[in-house]
Formats: sequence, C-alpha cells, structure tokens
Amino acid sequence: MSSFLTHHRRKILVTFFITAILMAGLLWQLGYLMIFRSEHYSRMADELHERERTIKAARGEIVDRNGTVIATNRTVCTISVVHNQVEEPETVIEVLCKELELSDAEVRKRVEKRSSREIIKTNVDKADGDRIRGYGLAGVKVDEDYKRYYPYDSMASKVLGFTGADNQGIIGLEVMYESYLKGLDGTILTLSDAKGVEVENAAEERKEPVAGKTLTVSLDVNIQKYAEQAAYQVMEKKGAKAVSVIIMNPQNGEIYAMVNAPEFNLNDPFTLVTEEEYGSSKEKQDLLNKMWRNRCINDTYEPGSTFKIITAAAGLEAGVVSLNDRFSCPGFRVVEDRKIRCHKVGGHGGETFLQGAMNSCNPVFIDVGQRLGVDSFYHYFEQFGLLGKTGIDLPGEAATIMHKKDNMGLVELATVSFGQSFQITPMQLVTTASSIINGGNRITPHFAVKAESRDKTFVREFTYPVRTGVVSEETSATMRYILEQVVAEGSGKKASLPEYRIGGKTATSEKLPRSLKKYISSFLGFAPADNPQVIALITIDEPVGIYYGGTIAAPVIADIFKNILPYLGI
Amino acid sequence: MAETAGKKKKRKPRRFYDYSLLFTIIFLTVFGLIMIYSSSSYNAQIHGQSASYYMKRQGYIALAGFAVMLVISKIDYHFFARFTFLSIIISYVCMILVDFTGLGIEVNGKKRWLGTRAVRFQPTELVKVTVILVLAVVITKLGKEINELRSWLMIAALILPLALLVTINNLSSGIIICGIAFVMMFIACKKKWPFVAAAAVMICGFLFALPIAQACVKIGLLQGYQLNRILVWKNPEAYPKDGGYQVLQGLYAIGSGGLLGKGLGQSIQKLSFLPEPQNDMIFAIICEELGLFGAVSVILIFLFMIYRFMLIAGNAPDLFGALLVIGVMAHISIQVILNIAVVTNVIPNTGITLPFISYGGTSVLFLMIEMGMVLSVSNQIKLEK
Repeated sequence: MSSFLTHHRRKILVTFFITAILMAGLLWQLGYLMIFRSEHYSRMADELHERERTIKAARGEIVDRNGTVIATNRTVCTISVVHNQVEEPETVIEVLCKELELSDAEVRKRVEKRSSREIIKTNVDKADGDRIRGYGLAGVKVDEDYKRYYPYDSMASKVLGFTGADNQGIIGLEVMYESYLKGLDGTILTLSDAKGVEVENAAEERKEPVAGKTLTVSLDVNIQKYAEQAAYQVMEKKGAKAVSVIIMNPQNGEIYAMVNAPEFNLNDPFTLVTEEEYGSSKEKQDLLNKMWRNRCINDTYEPGSTFKIITAAAGLEAGVVSLNDRFSCPGFRVVEDRKIRCHKVGGHGGETFLQGAMNSCNPVFIDVGQRLGVDSFYHYFEQFGLLGKTGIDLPGEAATIMHKKDNMGLVELATVSFGQSFQITPMQLVTTASSIINGGNRITPHFAVKAESRDKTFVREFTYPVRTGVVSEETSATMRYILEQVVAEGSGKKASLPEYRIGGKTATSEKLPRSLKKYISSFLGFAPADNPQVIALITIDEPVGIYYGGTIAAPVIADIFKNILPYLGI
Repeated sequence: MAETAGKKKKRKPRRFYDYSLLFTIIFLTVFGLIMIYSSSSYNAQIHGQSASYYMKRQGYIALAGFAVMLVISKIDYHFFARFTFLSIIISYVCMILVDFTGLGIEVNGKKRWLGTRAVRFQPTELVKVTVILVLAVVITKLGKEINELRSWLMIAALILPLALLVTINNLSSGIIICGIAFVMMFIACKKKWPFVAAAAVMICGFLFALPIAQACVKIGLLQGYQLNRILVWKNPEAYPKDGGYQVLQGLYAIGSGGLLGKGLGQSIQKLSFLPEPQNDMIFAIICEELGLFGAVSVILIFLFMIYRFMLIAGNAPDLFGALLVIGVMAHISIQVILNIAVVTNVIPNTGITLPFISYGGTSVLFLMIEMGMVLSVSNQIKLEK
C-alpha cells in the first residue's frame, strides 16, 4: 500500500473548508429568502392558497297571475377537471368526449391545461352528470348547479325569454327583470390545497347567497294556452307563416296572453323550429334571432282597417262627423289626382257613418280624414300616443313608422285614414284601441305585476303610467257602440257570440310590395262591448286561400272569447 | 462472549469507532422519516393510502440498511477491494439495461429503475458507490504514478463511459459522479492547477450562464428548451405556470416559513402545491415548517457529518481507507450543496435528493452501505495509548 502523505491531509482540509464555505453561502441565501423575502413570498403563497368559491344564487321564479310557476330552476351539473388529480388523461378525455358529445381536441386542450380547475361543460343534465360520476375517474368533478327550467316548454316563449350559460337573461322578461330575478351570489373564502380541496379546520369566511325575487306576471296560463292552441289551429288551417294573438285587460293594461306562433322551446332555445338551411354559424345566429323575435312588439305592420277605429274616434272627438252623417260610396274616391278604391268594387252606395264603419268602407273614412285635415289628424295621431312607444316591459319595442307631418299631403292623409302607408306594432294598435274604448285612458301594457323575495321581506308592486283624457267619455261610448254594431251586423259578424256583447273591427292588410298579393288578416275584438274587460287582437301573417280578416280572423277571436269570458267571470 | 472479547482486546490494540458519526446518521435518518411523514401524509391519503405509507416504506428500508451498515462497519475495509471488478461489471450491466432495454421501469415519466414495480432500485445509486470504490482501489494501486498523464487517461477511460451512461439516465447523478471523481483525484494528485483551472471554469460558467447559453443556442449547441431552463432559473416568477412552477412553489414554502417556521406538520405548500414534496423539494418543507432555525440546524448537522468524515479520512490507516472516506464525503457534500442550491434557486433545477432525508429506498440503502464503509475505516484506526 502506498504511503499516506501530508499533501493528502492538507487537501482534505481544503476540501472541507470549500464545502463549509459553500454551505455558508447557502445559509446566506436561505437567510435572505427567509428574512428579507419572507413577506413577499408569504403574500404570494396566501394568494395561492386562498380560494374564493362562489355559491350560485337561485334565480327567481316567474309565476302567472294565479301563482302557477312558469319559469323555475332545475338541478344540472357542471363538469370540470382538476389537472393535478387526473391520473389517466386518455381515459378521461375519451369518456368526456363520449358522454358530453364534444370534440376530442376541445376536451384534450382543457384536460391538459395546467390550471387548478378547468370547466369542461356547464348545464349538463343531471342524468349525464350522474353517469360521468359513476365512472369514478380521478380528477373529474361533477358539481350540481341550477339551470333555468320552463315547465311549459314553448308557452309564451318570446315573452318569457330564456337564460344563457351563466344563468343570465337573454331575451324577454328574463332580461327585462334581470336585476330582480338574478339574486346575489354568495362566496366562501377558504384555504385550499393545489387541487382545490379545502383545508379542513382552516378559517373560512362565508357570505350566503341571496335567491332572486319571484316575479308575478299578468299572464294567465289557461288563457295563454287556449290562445296558443287557437293560433296554431288557424295557422295550420290557413297555411299561414305566423299568427300572433294579444289578449289584454283594456282597463289597466295587464296582458293575459301574448302568442307568437310558431313559438320555440324555451328549454332548448338554440334549436331552430323551422327546418331552414344554414351554412355558417352566423347564418344560424341570424335565423335564431329571427325565431326569437316577438312579432307583437318587435315588428311593425300596416294595420289596415282596424285603424279605422282611430280615424273614427278622431273624427268624432273633433266633431267633424256623427253617427248619422250620410256618405256615398261609388267604389272609389278620387283624392287630388289619385283614385283610391274601396274593397267593394261596386261600391256601398249611400250609407250613414255607422253603416260605413260596419261595412269598413274606405271612402267614408277617407272623407272623415279629409274633413279633419292633415293638421288635425296629425294632432289626434299624436294625442292617442301613436307616435311614441307603448312602454311595454319587454325589450326591443319597435317604434311607429309614420309620415313626417310636413311631407303629408291629402293623398297620404287619405291612405292613413284607412290604415295604410304607415306602420305600427300590433301592441300599439291594441293599446290605442284600448284607450279609445275604455273612456280615454291611455294605459301602459305590461306583464310584471310584482316582485317579492321568498321571505316576503321585499315586495315591490309595479305601477305603470296612465294618461287620462285621450278621448272624451262620450266619444268612447260612441266608439263602443259603433264597434259593437260592426260585430253584431257588420263585417265582423263572425266574431259574434249569442250570449255576449262583443265589439270589434276586422282588417285585411296587403303586405308590401303590393304586387306579391300577400296579406295580413287581423281582427281586433273586445267584450263586453258596453264595459270592455278584455281586448284581443289576432294577426294572421300570409294566410293561403281566403284572406279576409272578417272571414278567417274574427271566428278565432270568437272561439277564444267563448272560452275565456266565462273563465274570467264576465 | 464477554470472555472472547476480552481475549481479543488483549491481542489487538484498542480500536476507534466513530460513535459521533453513528449518532449523526441515526439522527438524520429519523429526522428524515419525520419530515417524510409530514410532507407526504396528505398526498398519500389523497391517493387512498394510509398517511404513514411513505414513512413506513422508507423506515423499513432504513432499518434494513442500518443493519447492513453495522455489519459492513465491522468488516476490515480492505476486504471491499475484492468486489471492485464485480461491482464495475454489475454497474455497467445495470446501466445498459436501464438505459437501452425495456427492462427499465418508468415512474413519473422517468426511466430510472430496474426490477419490478413493487421491488425496484435505481442503478445510478449503485454506480456512485462503485465509482468511489474503483477510484480508491485504482489510485492506491497507482501510487505515485497518479501524477502522470497516462494514469489520468486510464482513469478517464475507466470512469467516463460509466459517467456517460449515468448522464444519459439522469443528468444530476452524472454530475455527482463526476464531482466525486473530481474531488478524489484532487486529493490524490500532487498537482493543483488543473483542478483550480477546472473550478475557475465552473465558477465562470455559473456566473455567466445566461450569455453563454444564449451563445450556445445561436450556434445550435443547445436547444431552445434548455435555454428556457436558464431563463426560468434567473427569474422563476416570470414563468409561474411552466418551468418555474416547482421552484416557485419551493420559494413560496421557504419564504413563508420565516424565522421560526409554521410548526411541524403545518406546511400548506405540501398540500399538493409542491409536487411530491417528500422527494427533491423536502428541504423547502423543512424551511416552511421549522423556519430558518430548522434549516440552519439541518445544514450544520450535515457540516458536522462532513467534519467527521474529514477526521476519519485524515486519520485513516492508509491511503485506500482515506480515499474511501473522501469519496463518501464528496458524495454527501455535493449532494447536500446541490440539493439546497436547487431548492433556494441558486442553481437551475435538476433532480437531486437530500441524503438521508429525501424519500427514496435505493438512495438510503446505498447511503447506509457507504456509511458502513466509512465506519469500517474508522474502526481500523488504532488508538494510541
């Protein structure tokens, strides 16, 4: 064995000292980290450990006037993955793709993302969620959550509206009363581990969620359902594109029913009802937006003969015409250089104002309009509230499209007199007609009656503006009489019911461009004629075959009235 | 028994046995078990095992290793020289098997094990002991010839292929093996300047890592992801999601420990924020739970251990014994320094365990064997009357 030399010993000592110096350096670094950087890293660590978890607040229910629930919440599941806990990513991806019907790439991206928690899909049916939970995959979380549920599927779909992925209102009452319905999410502030699992016994701050308010609306499920049934029947029978029905209390503006057939399924609002072709997702979105439109308030149309109610009321109010004034109808009227036809080619001959109204005779109303003159007519148009909006509590109400007063000549005046060359919404027509027959009170049509919290500590009854003196009580009474006669013996005969006094007015509007020969048949009716408690308007868009409002629209209202009047106790 | 021992005592001079070192070994091992329990119990339970799963496994192996150590420590260390050739053959075979054949077992994406899933070991730990033994034997055999270039080349031819095989398997073990060889050669040789020059190059490389790495990427010597490691090292907070995750979590743990720590068992970072906190990053958990006080204590205990090695090496009966102890000393020092340097982000992240404390059966078993060898050398020191 070789000798063990002094230089060996010396070098061993050197090695030891170098080691000691290096360790001292590390101690220095540790001291720096643990004393001077301690606060910095502690704060960052706390940020990492504290987790704010939201507790979703239940969205308020919507109930009809009788307390029937028409929009509520159902338990659904949110599927998410916790990256650190996933053991078999391939199995997880495969199962989630299969069960949730998502593309492989989409799921893969989320599963492989290094985040504390990645949501794969929300609003998954409880059954699907339970099935996924049944696989017992590590790292896959199935959390239960609320989802909006509409027990009547498609009923009043365009009125109620629906909610999106975050339970926020998207259209209709859901968005209009979002602030009442939404509620306040609660939070839990906890310490948690990297997997998002809460640390036991750690102090937690908890803020309870506040459920949304229950919204009571004026809709009546029975009336709505019956009106929908009637609308679908006539739509099918006449091969019409769409049928809308509004049923309202003309005294206070509470809407009992608003039908826009075809309705769509609120529990599946992103599936098109009609089988239309679409190429891109943008095209699909356009079709969806079209499907979600509430034609009663979002779209305008030429009201046609139903508008003669307004012309008549203006004429009576201004005193330029009375019931027994005589007119003659040769089948047309020449205004300036224009020859405007009556719907009856041979003309109605000699007739009183009342008979003219019963016959829905265009020349009679042209004359009334001409007697009023542009200034006066425009004044009444404005006075009745036709230039503004009704103020209904639904989003996206369309404004009236009307001639500017300065551009309005006698020809325009003549066409406006019998409801052509301008456009209003069906809701506007119903509201204006209501104010004429209810004694001159311009009411605000509305759905929401009250919002209240579950424990009744918060109750808000909604009030709506009423403008009185739109027409005199006398004019109102005369109008009720005229419109009752229209149904009793005039063009609206088919709306008559033996046991009730019903008033109303028919209309057949020719859609633009006139060359297409497409029509909107409509009928506006109310009952009882002497003291109106309910007013209804039906519009049938593009019926095939016979298109006269008096023939196809009036019987539908008669049918609805026959059923709902006893129900309403009238 | 007492009688025979008494007889022996009369015939042989009184032998030294380093009980201080023995005590240090026991203390570090038991402390390691406690820290393994503290850092792993939460994760073990999450994975459906008992809270003491990791501690028990480590404990059984440590106990067996301890017995092996005691046996080895009573054997004259010259006997180990007989295993030199065998251990080289076994090391090469194991490394080739684990690197290039399907027998290598992958755990957490790292192919470092041989055996079955249940009973497996890391051949790189065996290689470390082999290198210590082989170098000690060869250097002793060469005697004064060690200072000649020819001998250097021969030793390089012996060690480098093995080091390369280990480096392919995992970089950090390769570094440790080279480090052990470096220290042993430094002590054995009369020359100083080659070692000083090498150390100077390393220090420069450490200080100017970023510009050097950038230059290397430009000429295509390094890949982009390797440069990225350097960037992460320089500023881990800028890469909280990707490469910097582990280091940053470790820094959170160290920083939030403060002077006195959160108390044993109170770490929050071990709750899955630090992946596998019982392994490489266990020192961060020690810092978080026991504070600067605990961390300094641990380092001082290691320094004391190294001090004992120095004493034994300096008093060894011959060069072979001294070299064995020096090899072990180099092994422990390098691993402790590199581990703590990684945890405190002084050097870029490589997977190096903390001896005696980090979880790892192979590591603790071979450490015990090395300790046995050191104790055996200590036992051959004759005490003067």
